[in-house]
Amino acid sequence: MKEPKRILSKPKTVLALALLILANGVLFAREQVKNDYGLDTALPIGGTVIINGEYTVTQKTVDARAAYRRYLQWIDRVRDMPAPDAVEYLNEQKDALADAAADGDGDAELDYAAVNSLLPQADYINGYADWLGNIRANKESMLSFAIFGDPDSFSGRNIIKTADEFEKLEQVKLTIGADGAVDALLSFSLTDYFLLSALLLFALSFLSERGSGIWPVVRAAPNGRLRLAVRRALILLFASVCFTVLLYGTNLSIGFSLYGGSDDLGRAVQSVRSLGRLPELWTVGGFLIRFFLFRIASAFLAGLLLWLMLTAVDNVKYTVAAASFALAVEYGLYTFLPVQSAFNIFKYFNIFTYISLSDLYTNYLNIDIFSYPIGIRSVSEIALFPLCLSLTAACVCFHCRKRPAEGRDLLGGAAYGVNAVADKVLRRLGLFGMELHKTMLIQKGVLIAAIFVYAAFGMSYAVSIPVMSFAELAERQYTSEFAGAITEDTIARMDEKQAELEGAIAAYEAAEADYENGLIEYPMLDKYSRDAESAKTQIEGLSNVRARVFELKNRGKSDGFAPWLIDEIPFESVYGGYAESNQMNAALLAVLALTLLLAGSMAYERQSGMTYLLRSTARGRGAFHVRKLLLAAAATTLVWAVVYGLELRALLTGVDVSVLRAPVQNLSMAASFPLCCPIAAALALLYVCRWLVLFCCAVAVLFISGCARRTETACIASAAATLLPSLLYAYMGIGIFRPLSVILPVAAMPILTPADGAASAYLPWLAAITAIAACAEAKMVIRNNSK
Amino acid sequence: MELQLIDLTKKYGSFTALDRVNITFTEGIYGILGANGAGKSTMMNLLTDNISRTDGKILFDGVDILKLGRDFRRILGYMPQEQGCYAHMTAATFLSYMADLKSIPKKRAKAEIEKLLQITNLYDVRHKKLGGYSGGMKQRVLLAQALLGDPKIVILDEPTAGLDPKERIRIRNFISSLSSGRIILLATHIVSDIESISDQIIMMKRGRVVGVDTPENLTDSVADKVKETVCRPDELESVRERYRVGNVFRRGGETWVRVVGDELPDGGRFVPDHLSLEDVYLYYLGE
Repeated sequence: MKEPKRILSKPKTVLALALLILANGVLFAREQVKNDYGLDTALPIGGTVIINGEYTVTQKTVDARAAYRRYLQWIDRVRDMPAPDAVEYLNEQKDALADAAADGDGDAELDYAAVNSLLPQADYINGYADWLGNIRANKESMLSFAIFGDPDSFSGRNIIKTADEFEKLEQVKLTIGADGAVDALLSFSLTDYFLLSALLLFALSFLSERGSGIWPVVRAAPNGRLRLAVRRALILLFASVCFTVLLYGTNLSIGFSLYGGSDDLGRAVQSVRSLGRLPELWTVGGFLIRFFLFRIASAFLAGLLLWLMLTAVDNVKYTVAAASFALAVEYGLYTFLPVQSAFNIFKYFNIFTYISLSDLYTNYLNIDIFSYPIGIRSVSEIALFPLCLSLTAACVCFHCRKRPAEGRDLLGGAAYGVNAVADKVLRRLGLFGMELHKTMLIQKGVLIAAIFVYAAFGMSYAVSIPVMSFAELAERQYTSEFAGAITEDTIARMDEKQAELEGAIAAYEAAEADYENGLIEYPMLDKYSRDAESAKTQIEGLSNVRARVFELKNRGKSDGFAPWLIDEIPFESVYGGYAESNQMNAALLAVLALTLLLAGSMAYERQSGMTYLLRSTARGRGAFHVRKLLLAAAATTLVWAVVYGLELRALLTGVDVSVLRAPVQNLSMAASFPLCCPIAAALALLYVCRWLVLFCCAVAVLFISGCARRTETACIASAAATLLPSLLYAYMGIGIFRPLSVILPVAAMPILTPADGAASAYLPWLAAITAIAACAEAKMVIRNNSK
Repeated sequence: MELQLIDLTKKYGSFTALDRVNITFTEGIYGILGANGAGKSTMMNLLTDNISRTDGKILFDGVDILKLGRDFRRILGYMPQEQGCYAHMTAATFLSYMADLKSIPKKRAKAEIEKLLQITNLYDVRHKKLGGYSGGMKQRVLLAQALLGDPKIVILDEPTAGLDPKERIRIRNFISSLSSGRIILLATHIVSDIESISDQIIMMKRGRVVGVDTPENLTDSVADKVKETVCRPDELESVRERYRVGNVFRRGGETWVRVVGDELPDGGRFVPDHLSLEDVYLYYLGE
């Protein structure tokens, strides 16, 4: 009996497990970057700008990675200081650095962000002893109240227990250190669900004999009952160990490499702010070991529970439905039941308590069991071993006692009825409809589409562009005010504005003279002074706008387009250099969705053994392939419409539609656009080009799929061809993959901004030619086969 | 109606799967007999244009089937040996889909599907997913799809494999009833299936056609080549080594062996009235 080998010989399972590990690592790392490495990167410098027609306060930020390096240096500086001294020192430094940062000193900006982020930790360590003291003081004061004072009530016992438990921490010495890795490990809850998914895959693989119809054979084998069940329990335990280590180990390794702190494992665990409520005399290292052990045991428990639920019902589909329902109920109780509820026992004696372990360590909570306060963490830890044991026994019993021939297909009749209705609909579908049915329903494309739409709606399509100075702020305001076709009136209005501003300066000069002559008081002079300062800044901004207006007028005259002053911020925020990462993400999502939707399309025919049969029919060749191409076109259109529809929506929320009539050359980014046409036409060209490149990509995926025998192989091969070079180039920065990176032509930005590099402009066409060649090759293969 | 194979050859590298086959099919049922690797499926795949031929021609009414292309496939019904089907489709949907691929108008397809589902005894389970079908049921669905559209040329590769005796007889009789106005090619290992319904038997060995005749003529041709003789159980191995042995059976408390071949044992008796196609198979195709 080679059960582990059997499970791991399934390509689908191995692929899914590998993807889980990969996705976990990538998402964990991205989360850290997204959260600016846990730092507050905002500087005390900002301003008000008009974005999307509204005044918005923006704040200048610093590069989080660079600031984090400073953060580590500041930790080294204050590590050995007594906590009050460290707080005082950091506060002083913060004020000094804020002034320096306001003067534009780049180093000071980074140091300010580092110190500002370190201060809360120093404050916490400094105040920890007081916090413990408060718990003691609370005990005395609360016990003096009649409602809490009864030592036989839950409240009284809880107050005493809490104070007793934290009393042992009085002598604990907290030190400042790099806590990012531990914090990230505890806060990244997605890993808990990745682990659960991995165990679900194992539990599902235990049911494969039911699906394949060899359940009676397995049961009739001498080792097919007790020994197989015990072996499976051991496999589940082994899988719990492996995947806990792989998933959480990956997170911890990435955390240590990003945040440092691997040398600080000897510190008291309460030094990590999120673990301050853990009443145990552990070091950080000791905590991590316990966390991993507890995680393994709880993962095993969750795996056993899944296995038990799946084993209990005969039909695999119903078991999955039943397990999903049970988990949904548990999750609902865990998430929505209030802590104060009389039924909070269901919140804590819940499978999700064992899935989301972090809460047990980051919160201190005693629950009422027969008027005795029981620590939720202690009880969870203690209950784990007997629970594992009893669930293992239950799983083994179920496995041994469940008979294949006894199961009644309770929903079989209903399913037959549903199929009968579905058949009536499907009978009316033509070839294309059936291809759509195969892709969307049989191959679960609808799930991929739903996840894709969800992801697309969750993505950002416009970035906010920071304002670097008040003059720039004024420039944006005036651009917005004078936006439109540039005429003599525009210039007249600008002159008028300039005169008004200069008037404020002149008024200040006059007021100065009046002040010297004693005609006005200082507060009045101060008001004139502030108005004049503001006017100078605004004049600077207005001058920039004026320069832009004249530049457009001249260029319009020489290049033959009507000059328009356009508020370019919305365009920059969607298509500009700041939005490059958004562009790449959107293109990657589109290509990923297309690949997953279509990769199985042709391979499915081969996997089903239908190729020869299809080819022997009148429409099983040309017409069939045309339908596949139409399917690729439909999938492309769906993906394109969702991703780029949302992008366009992001643009149009910030732009007056009438601006789209302006010649595209008025946009700085499109100054070198070769055709003289309105912005709307240029955008249409951009989006059409994107559709074409996506379609070519889809055809290439179909071609790869046609070469594969199994859908899994097709998925891997297609993803390797379409996504891997893009990931390696755009996300890992490996330049040699640029020519193969399909997301560049999908984003197609050189269409709009041809000045970005002549080579880039050819990328879309290069990709299109490649895909068309792939298409032609596919056609040739079909022809060759048919001769 | 005439389907001609002229010098039809298929090579895979240096291996010749089909070697200059020349046969002309006219209306009727043709049973194709041959061991595994004899070239039966290769011939069927060439007839359905699923593999490219190395040499030779396949003419339908004098026109190459490659030239006819879609027009030829329109009159073709094919049931492959491999039980390929969409496991997540029901029999009704699968047959509708195949009808669509065969360009059968929807109204006609509906009537035909219902009739074929009745004939193949699948009507009561037509809304069940094919993944839940037994091997025999899948076989019947595939046979039903092959017969959709009233094809003039029907190619059936192992159509009765996996069916119980009752179903086999039912399907066999149905195929027999289809023979008028059609060319039906039926490849099988189950000799009794083609014995009773074939007009002609084609015997293939190592890519070549070694004999084509009616079942009666073929059985007559081995009338003096089959003997039954008594054999002690301990002699059985030595008899097997010397002669080509067919059935071994017990009669009157003695063990009898049926020997086929040019070289026969001295004792025993000829059985001219009890010859079967199995004897023919053993004589012509047995090693």
